[in-house]
Amino acid sequence: MYGGDEVSAIVLDLGSHTCKAGYAGEDAPKAVFPSVVGAIDQMEVDDNTNGEKNSSIDSKAGVKDSERKGKRKLYVGSQSLGFRRDNMEVLSPIKDGVVMDWDIVDSIWDHAFRECLLVDPKEHPMLLAEPSSNSQQQRERTVELMFEKYNVPALFLAKNAVLTSFASGRATALVVDSGGGSTTIAPVHDGYVIQKAVASCPIGGEFLTDCLLKSLESKGVVIKPRYSFKRKETRPGDFQAVDVDFPNTTESYRLYSQRVIASDIKECVCRAPDTPYDEASYSNIPMTPYELPDGQTIEIGADRFKIPDILFNPSLAQTIPGIESFAEVGPNVRGLPQMVIDSINRCDVDIRKELFSSVLLAGGTASMQQLKERLEKDLLEESPQTARVKVLASGNSTERRFSVWIGGSILASLGSFQQMWFSKSEYEEHGASYVQRKCP
Amino acid sequence: MDAKDILGLPKTPLSVPPEKKSQPKKDSQRKPDGISREVYALTGGLAPLMPSIDSSYLKKRPPSDEKITWQWLPFTNSARKDTLQLYHWVRVVNGVPPTGDYSFAKYNKSIEVTKYTDEEYAQHLTDPSWTKQETDQLFDLCEQFDLRFVIIADRFPSSRTMEELKDRYYSVYFLSPVCRSILLARASSPADVSGHPLVKENYNASQEKERKRALSMVLSQTKQQEKKDAEVLAEAKKIAESRMAAKGVEESVMPATENEFPETTIDHNTLVSLSNVRLAPVAAPPSTLVIADTSSTLASLRMLPVYLRTYALEQMVQQASSSAGLRTIKRVEQTLQDLGINLKPRVPTKAVCAEHLELRKEILTLLNLQKQLQYKEAEGSSLREGTTYSEMPGTPKRQVRDHDRTFIPDAMSFGGERGGRKDPKRKGPGRVSETPSSPANKRPRKMKASDL
Repeated sequence: MYGGDEVSAIVLDLGSHTCKAGYAGEDAPKAVFPSVVGAIDQMEVDDNTNGEKNSSIDSKAGVKDSERKGKRKLYVGSQSLGFRRDNMEVLSPIKDGVVMDWDIVDSIWDHAFRECLLVDPKEHPMLLAEPSSNSQQQRERTVELMFEKYNVPALFLAKNAVLTSFASGRATALVVDSGGGSTTIAPVHDGYVIQKAVASCPIGGEFLTDCLLKSLESKGVVIKPRYSFKRKETRPGDFQAVDVDFPNTTESYRLYSQRVIASDIKECVCRAPDTPYDEASYSNIPMTPYELPDGQTIEIGADRFKIPDILFNPSLAQTIPGIESFAEVGPNVRGLPQMVIDSINRCDVDIRKELFSSVLLAGGTASMQQLKERLEKDLLEESPQTARVKVLASGNSTERRFSVWIGGSILASLGSFQQMWFSKSEYEEHGASYVQRKCP
Repeated sequence: MDAKDILGLPKTPLSVPPEKKSQPKKDSQRKPDGISREVYALTGGLAPLMPSIDSSYLKKRPPSDEKITWQWLPFTNSARKDTLQLYHWVRVVNGVPPTGDYSFAKYNKSIEVTKYTDEEYAQHLTDPSWTKQETDQLFDLCEQFDLRFVIIADRFPSSRTMEELKDRYYSVYFLSPVCRSILLARASSPADVSGHPLVKENYNASQEKERKRALSMVLSQTKQQEKKDAEVLAEAKKIAESRMAAKGVEESVMPATENEFPETTIDHNTLVSLSNVRLAPVAAPPSTLVIADTSSTLASLRMLPVYLRTYALEQMVQQASSSAGLRTIKRVEQTLQDLGINLKPRVPTKAVCAEHLELRKEILTLLNLQKQLQYKEAEGSSLREGTTYSEMPGTPKRQVRDHDRTFIPDAMSFGGERGGRKDPKRKGPGRVSETPSSPANKRPRKMKASDL
């Protein structure tokens, strides 16, 4: 590598669905785990109160909480989450793209450094990936947490869209990032995001998983979470699922386990349809079988195409029973091709042609089959003739999922990047708001 | 050598001279280049799969006396303004780490944005629509983003268009004496100054705005509008082309008409015994004209002040048969001869010429339909051969039905003949089968013509 100079930086990308962490210079993150945590509320014993010593159970019963500090034990990582515990709630730190709960973020980072990567953050500069439309307050909070708690020597906050376009070797591109929580469309010009043209939509992989779950439930298929049954061998080679009951399991955990299974179904079976979905034409489609972990085999027919088409036509979601809450968000949300064109039209006229010819797909949901072809076809229909539309996506689905992380890995290991770090001494001298200057 | 002793193989005589003499009478396996023969034979007489030592390595690097280690050392970067020290791997020679700046620091280039002082601003650079604060912000952003105006326009706090920002920047640049003095100082001669891009093509905000507006209109056309535009353009092109063609005819025919005058005068005398006198009309225009439109043929004829009816007939015939190939034309003529009609009418009066033309057209249609029928029958027969024998040969007939109803009664009445004739047809649509069928089919055709 002629332009490279490794300083053993660490690249950390906290997404809405998974968190990816690893060393810069490598081609895939070492630590990939869900970015939700399990939390069990515990009561901190306070000396002033009259000795109600509770252990790990529910703390709501008639307690004066002004004098008690609610403390939670957090379980991070796919291994800890996979084990069912009583009263464990599944919480996500990010809501609508904004970090709500900084303790959870802290615990996730801690898990990544100390348990997954086994590094001491004091010795490594950090490159963090942030959403393309992140507010100043969030950035400052991130910077403070990193410098104060982890004492990193240097830090940089890079936008997701910029990292994705670097991962594909371009300085100017239109990045369509459809991840777990949301889909964001951001144009990048010469390495900087054009903030006034960023568009975001809450339809992401998790929403599609929910739709699939509700759709299957309405058809009578019950997805049993993995913890709720045991497989007993009735005859040699023949297994039968026996229900096991755990009364203290929280609703959020049950939902989380069901979603894991449903998202696996979605990844295996769903395909983006070539033409907009309508009930009549897909009513006679041959069904695809899928075997659930408890042994029952289900057949999935029209849903295979209906669910991915929600990205292109969000009003389809309203036809699925159980997703009525979407109606409130519904009217403002347009389909994916329309959002792309709106975003491009908000940019300066001179760069529009270039943006049309380099549309990049990134994110977990973008690795759905046929999505690239369908998007290209829809864009060709709606875009002006003079613009040559080209949608690019790396062939490898791992690369699509981790393209943000890979871009960060490339950036942090470049020799000419080393002058751009936001160092601890600069933080101490100018304060956290200096990040706006240093990390544009 | 000792390896051979160990193995008990017979010692080869004098290993060194054979290499130099290159004895071809030795076995063909002897191909080693650079390794001695014994070693070669050790591997079993075959060439090794991979070179054990790449010869280039032996030539390139003689082992140096330096001791080279790689160490994880801190480094400073002159491109940074603070004292951050990061660590990286360094090639240390003889315990002495390399000196000098960080190798990538030289890539830290930025655009020089000249700054103005407050007095200068007050003196020269005030502008009614721009406050000092905004101008300061603008210059700050210009420096931060290296004059990438797309991004500057995006990040500018108040919403100003890119043209306004550019305009302000360039006007300040031009007006400020600092910039101008720098410009003059750097230029070696006045010619250079005028050659400087800013002086030559000063930024013109209104022109830029117009250009961008036009471009955005082009880019935001919907598909329907574009289709309409394309249609209109295509029509305009067609009209222009036909006009050109008419003009071209006129021009090329003009010199020709002069030639025709003497010919026509001669012709008037011999008009009575016209028959086979072929006054070669000016052949140039007909061959060059490829006009597909009857109206244009007529138009071109009308251009001529005087012309022969045979000439006109030839024009019409040519126009009618322009869509057919040479073979078809020959067949038409063959048919005419079979019918006992001359290729050119003996008495070319108006009615006769019109009928002749009609006849030719009808023969052409007939031949085309026959060809189509043949193709369909071939298709049908090939399909039939692909399927079982039980399928009745009713299918190809049904295909024919759509094309020409009159053929069905024909098939019914000549059932026997048809059956017989099907076999040669099945072998392939050849000319052989064509002639027997054509007179058979001609009779119902004639009936149809009279029906009209």
